[in-house]
Amino acid sequence: MSAQRRLFSPRFDWLSLTLVLGGLLLLYYLAPLASLFLAAPPGTVAASLTEPTVVNAMTTSVLSATLSTLVGTVFGLPLAYWLAHADTRWTNVVLAVVVLPLVLPPTVGGVVLLTVVGPNTFLGASAAAVGVPLTRSLAGVVLAQTFVASPFVVVTAKAAFEGVDRTLEHASRVLGMDRLTTVRRITLPLAGPGLLAGVTLAFARAMGEFGATMMLAYYPRTMPVQIWVSFVSLGLDAAYPIAIVLVVVSALALIVLHTVASNPWQ
Amino acid sequence: MTSLRLDCVAKAFDGFELGPLDLAVADEVLAVLGPSGCGKTTLLSLVAGLVRPDAGTISLDGRTLDGRPPENRGVGLVFQDGALFPHLTARENVAYAATDRDRVTDFTARLEIDDLLDRRPPALSGGERQRVALARTLAADPDALLLDEPLSSLDAPIRRRLRDELHDLFATLDVPVVYVTHDQRAATALGDRVAVLRDGAVEQIDEPDAVLDCPETEFVARFTGCENVFEGTVTEGGVRVDGVTFPAESTQPPGTAATVCIRPSRVRLNAPDTVLAGTVQRRLNEGDDYRLRVALDDGPDLIARVRPSGTLAPGDAVGVSIAAEDVHLL
Repeated sequence: MSAQRRLFSPRFDWLSLTLVLGGLLLLYYLAPLASLFLAAPPGTVAASLTEPTVVNAMTTSVLSATLSTLVGTVFGLPLAYWLAHADTRWTNVVLAVVVLPLVLPPTVGGVVLLTVVGPNTFLGASAAAVGVPLTRSLAGVVLAQTFVASPFVVVTAKAAFEGVDRTLEHASRVLGMDRLTTVRRITLPLAGPGLLAGVTLAFARAMGEFGATMMLAYYPRTMPVQIWVSFVSLGLDAAYPIAIVLVVVSALALIVLHTVASNPWQ
Repeated sequence: MTSLRLDCVAKAFDGFELGPLDLAVADEVLAVLGPSGCGKTTLLSLVAGLVRPDAGTISLDGRTLDGRPPENRGVGLVFQDGALFPHLTARENVAYAATDRDRVTDFTARLEIDDLLDRRPPALSGGERQRVALARTLAADPDALLLDEPLSSLDAPIRRRLRDELHDLFATLDVPVVYVTHDQRAATALGDRVAVLRDGAVEQIDEPDAVLDCPETEFVARFTGCENVFEGTVTEGGVRVDGVTFPAESTQPPGTAATVCIRPSRVRLNAPDTVLAGTVQRRLNEGDDYRLRVALDDGPDLIARVRPSGTLAPGDAVGVSIAAEDVHLL
């Protein structure tokens, strides 16, 4: 009876409403991006890409983001492995600390970093004395980016390590391989795509870092800082070229996340 | 002669207690039989070093394994679903920890997996995965072999075939083998001895025939397929349950309370020497035999397992006979 009614009077499906509402949001994401590319004629963008300020900003950003991603990976992967394998209640506390920089407003992150590495702090003064100033320097940029971006490595890699069936690691151990060999031959290959996703997310976040970087190192200017400077001094048009470069970087990160960084074994 | 020993080994977690267990396994197959949650897998994890015992000592060939990490114990463990490394081919899996090349080719040949070696685990069937897992473990030349329900997730024909092959394979190994299962048939078929585990304690450990014919507890009787378990009283030359008397040999004086165990396969129907009468209540065709529920006149309901025959149907009156040696008293 009810099946018959459904057959003859098509009823409203709420699923279509979710698409309509969600579609509006989707437009809100896409329209400004399209508008940006339309507002900046390709010729102008290409020409301005060779300007010294733009080239310098790109160099600084790529170099600093690479370094901060490297630091985040070297220290973040071991922490992620520990979080995934340690059998203690402390993991929750440690994880909360790791997530803190993610929820903290980046400018506040910059403030707290300055209380440790600022020019008037012990650390900042000592480092400056030996010729490595921790603010207004590439080191400052890397410090700011590492603080904000490295949690992406830890959180994503932890999930990737946890995604590796513990039985496989046990099997390797019982077969006679120690923990390090097991990590190298079983855990890392199986978690690899997830780890790459974490590294990619961290790099993308580092490339886009603005708040903490502004507090620690206005110079040398990274791309986001240069966008802000160009916008304030010369207007919106001047900010377009670098903005487009950053959009392309984000798109590349997305491509990596959906290709090599997706797990073929799951 | 190698041997695996557990002395007073105990482990408690999440409200469950295993042990204290004392086990000695020589160059034989010890089948550990028990329901899920009885501690079988924990027992293997303790021996393999994946779980640390709260107390007790585990030794292999006279050397203690206590405190040693899993990689340093010389113990091989075959996991329930094989636990093959999914990113490696079957060949790479087998060679993963092989002590030498000859062992790889030896065991891939004996387990008949030579044609599968270039495939990755997702492209293997359940039975093939277990063969590769076995070859991988044996190629590492373990001093003791542990198997955790290796056949439980396989289809019946494959399971039977692999069980036969395991039997032959075990005979060629000169190391202690501990085979954990909840399947009574696998346990009695493969074990030189069977240990029945219940709630973390060994209920009985004996040769398969002894466990089947002379269970020491009601739990062992029921878990090994003795479906007819009744409370009765010893009489002269028999045992009385409700209004019927089964023939039995008892050393107990008449009047003593006893638990009666009769395997369904030992119940004979309409035989010439019939002594009891009953009525067929239900008949299930289980393929090789019929499983019948027979209500004894003035007695309990009896489960009988007999060869298929079209002559018995629910409602039919039947004569029931059971030999005295087939009636086991606890």
